[in-house]
Amino acid sequence: MANTWGYGAMTNSLNDIQNAKAIIIFGANPAVNHPVGFRHLLVAKERNNAQIIVVDPRFTRTAAHADLYAQIRPGTDIAFMYGMLNIIFKNGWENKEFINDRVYGMDDIRKEAAKWTPERVSDVTGVSTQKLIQITNAYARQTPGTLLWAMGLTQHTIGSSNTRIAPILQLALGNMGVEGGGCNILRGHDNVQGATDMCCLSHTLPGYYGLSDGSWKYFAKSWGVDYNWLKGRFKAKEWMNKKGFTLARWYAGVLAGKAGEDKIHNAGTNLKALVVLGNGITSIDQQAKVKEALDNLELIVIADPFVNEAVVLTDKKDDVFLLPAASQFETSGCVTATNRSAQWRSQVIEPLYESKTDQDLMFELAKRLGFYKEFTKGMLMKENKKSFKWPEDATDEFARIIKTIGFTGWTSKRLKNHQKNWDKFDHVSLMGYGPMKGEYYGLPWPCWTETHSGSPVLYDINRSVKEGGMGFRNRFGLMHDGVDLLAGKGSAPKDSANPDGYPEITAKNIEKVLGITLSASEKKRIGKNWKVDTSNIIAQKCMERGMAPYGNAKARANVWTFPDRIPMHREPLHSPRQDLVKEYPTYKDKPNHYRVDTRYASEQDKEDWSKKFPINLITGRLVNMNGAGVETRSSKYLAKLSPEMFCDINPGLAANHDIKNGDMMWIHSPSDTKIKVKARFTYSVAEDRVFLPMHFAGYFQGEDRSAHYPKGHKPYAVGESANTVTNYGYDIVTQLPETKGGLCRIEKA
Amino acid sequence: MQNTTQKALSTRIGRRSFLKMAAVASAFGATSAFASGNVTRAATKEEVKNPFPGSKLVKTICTSCSVGCGVIAEVQNGVWVRQEVAQDHPVSLGGHCCKGADMIDMVRSEIRNKHPMVKENGEWKRISWDSALDRISKKLEDLRKTSGPDSTMFLGSAKFNNEQAYYFRKFAAMYGTNNIDHQARI
Repeated sequence: MANTWGYGAMTNSLNDIQNAKAIIIFGANPAVNHPVGFRHLLVAKERNNAQIIVVDPRFTRTAAHADLYAQIRPGTDIAFMYGMLNIIFKNGWENKEFINDRVYGMDDIRKEAAKWTPERVSDVTGVSTQKLIQITNAYARQTPGTLLWAMGLTQHTIGSSNTRIAPILQLALGNMGVEGGGCNILRGHDNVQGATDMCCLSHTLPGYYGLSDGSWKYFAKSWGVDYNWLKGRFKAKEWMNKKGFTLARWYAGVLAGKAGEDKIHNAGTNLKALVVLGNGITSIDQQAKVKEALDNLELIVIADPFVNEAVVLTDKKDDVFLLPAASQFETSGCVTATNRSAQWRSQVIEPLYESKTDQDLMFELAKRLGFYKEFTKGMLMKENKKSFKWPEDATDEFARIIKTIGFTGWTSKRLKNHQKNWDKFDHVSLMGYGPMKGEYYGLPWPCWTETHSGSPVLYDINRSVKEGGMGFRNRFGLMHDGVDLLAGKGSAPKDSANPDGYPEITAKNIEKVLGITLSASEKKRIGKNWKVDTSNIIAQKCMERGMAPYGNAKARANVWTFPDRIPMHREPLHSPRQDLVKEYPTYKDKPNHYRVDTRYASEQDKEDWSKKFPINLITGRLVNMNGAGVETRSSKYLAKLSPEMFCDINPGLAANHDIKNGDMMWIHSPSDTKIKVKARFTYSVAEDRVFLPMHFAGYFQGEDRSAHYPKGHKPYAVGESANTVTNYGYDIVTQLPETKGGLCRIEKA
Repeated sequence: MQNTTQKALSTRIGRRSFLKMAAVASAFGATSAFASGNVTRAATKEEVKNPFPGSKLVKTICTSCSVGCGVIAEVQNGVWVRQEVAQDHPVSLGGHCCKGADMIDMVRSEIRNKHPMVKENGEWKRISWDSALDRISKKLEDLRKTSGPDSTMFLGSAKFNNEQAYYFRKFAAMYGTNNIDHQARI
């Protein structure tokens, strides 16, 4: 998404969906996973007669609310959306003016879409031609239409193409930058957006600054530490610039060197220690490998309010530390909701028992590791203080530093004020009234200045920049293949001093692009460009001229830096349709993918997987559970609603294996792993697939691991982890695991 | 009135058990069996109206999903005693799902981790924070010296608040590695 138009985040908000006239949902199940947010969709249905369309391999509870439902084969969303685009272009339903002024590369899409006739789409996706035409007709002819997705779209080897084709569909229809439109990614955990913005990520520094020398120098300066000291902390400078391991594949960093394991590139060492703060690593793909990796570590440190079931999975006998972490109600700070808005979370009680907050744990470790002073200095710098106040000074620290996604306006004072007055905001637009007038609830980023309103709808040129308007970001240069990448004539945000496209603002071009003259003092204080301008002169001047600091450019349908320049359908590594694998093969194997060699073609071509593993395997959530599930399984009431692990299976499929409702069954994976679970009959899955909830742990390949819980800490429900049998496979760009399009074999236990 | 209640709270029975009993008493009427013993007493009129006199309401946010529903937590003497939906929250508008409604029980769950533990020779053993932190940092520093900072993997969380997430990234940077990640990658 970020590679399409600048930012990778939900473009509108849940409340804004009330403005939609049509709603299409790919691989998301908000009725179960975001129940309270889902009511905004139902308002749109009731008030605007908006059709709800669900495209999902499983008839979910969201599908039960839908007007139209397509039971798609897992991993074929690209084919489906090209099918929609084929019909849209054929009938001239695309928004030509929007495409002309604001999109680069749509002609390439047009060519590819022409190949995806309804018949071909039907063959690949398993959805009838009539259903495809009906859905396209219902969605494309009602504007604005909003498009929602979640992990069902992203967790694939082609996830990063999926997250481009969906924006392309919206761009073709002109559904971007309008109320009731947009690409609305539903984040899972409460602070997925925030923790991602803060970049607990191996490929970038906070605010998506990347890992270049310039970024490290900017952060060293902003943290108040010497760049050379920071550099000296790394093994060598080159390792500052190289992406690290990811959550999906850290295990490979431990296991490398053993027979059959993928090769790693990690500064000449394997991983030997693992430090986990609040991450349910039992809900990650390839649990058997995760277990083996845990067993082979020298040190495991885990801080969690409940027993992180990684310690139950491992047989490691020594140096496994389990630390009691405080919950988020025992500390305070801000959290970013799915729509980029910040909410202040007040502390309810002091940490219970001996638990410590995550920040205190980090401070204590930093003291002992000798960098506490450097670690906390950033909090003292704004006002040149002697001591800091957590969390306010931390909030103000990142607000001071992170310009890329417009955090300048997120001061702790303003965020607290929003919490205090949360009753004074409109329920659809989220615009404040009374004392909150002129501000959107939670100041959705980018929030360019300390008085900015926040931006409720990304890329909306129907409002001024001061009121949250903007074009697409100028992030990919000024020209490509001789085509101008800046926005077309007349497509600047309302009240812009420059009515056309313009580049991102730098100290060098500011006077020319904004048509202003800087004073000598301003010239002295201004930063090199808008991303590192801590003086905020660029943002201030831009607001005055009604222009966005990041420029006004075209979105791009063609990402020339990606392995697939336009999204291409590729069959999953383990595909039930071997005939299609030849036509739509996966990528070549990728060396050094986040420090580990990753198999694509060699895995797909190894054998005809569909012979031994004929059933599609999909995973997802339950309404009463969350993530790896230990929090919710530690509640008596929630655990009771789904006391044991199960497998949703169509009675027709079950009958062929002599499995009765409630029988125990084995599920085997291509990685030679298996789980034993209870069969639950349902017609929500077709006969060629089964569904597993992802929230259980405590059993491993048929073995009850209860004895490994510390006494008195076993959750009220335990079971096999679905991720013991989810298949090998990782996204080609982001390395997200393929948990939604694998294969399996079943048998009666 | 509040003073009376505070006095009652500091009598010989524990606060929690008192509250339970007072609640029972008010629900069933102050029967003689409850009222006559030394163990308990009748709830005051004020307690019948409000079982948690002097409590504070704290506005906060659910930690379950990214909708970010408002939560009103009622706290009395440092104890989270009741949870209510936030009728006036602009996104959740008084809504809660079963997970959100359970926040109070999650926090007060009996099976929470209560003190640092370490596995030694396959057995769980209780240790102090100081000992845990000293041992962990010694081991980390040893590994840092012998194998380099890239021998450690840091896994953070989408359950962090923003300040913690930002500081965790900074922690890995100052430790000297890019081996850091959390649950979401797109």
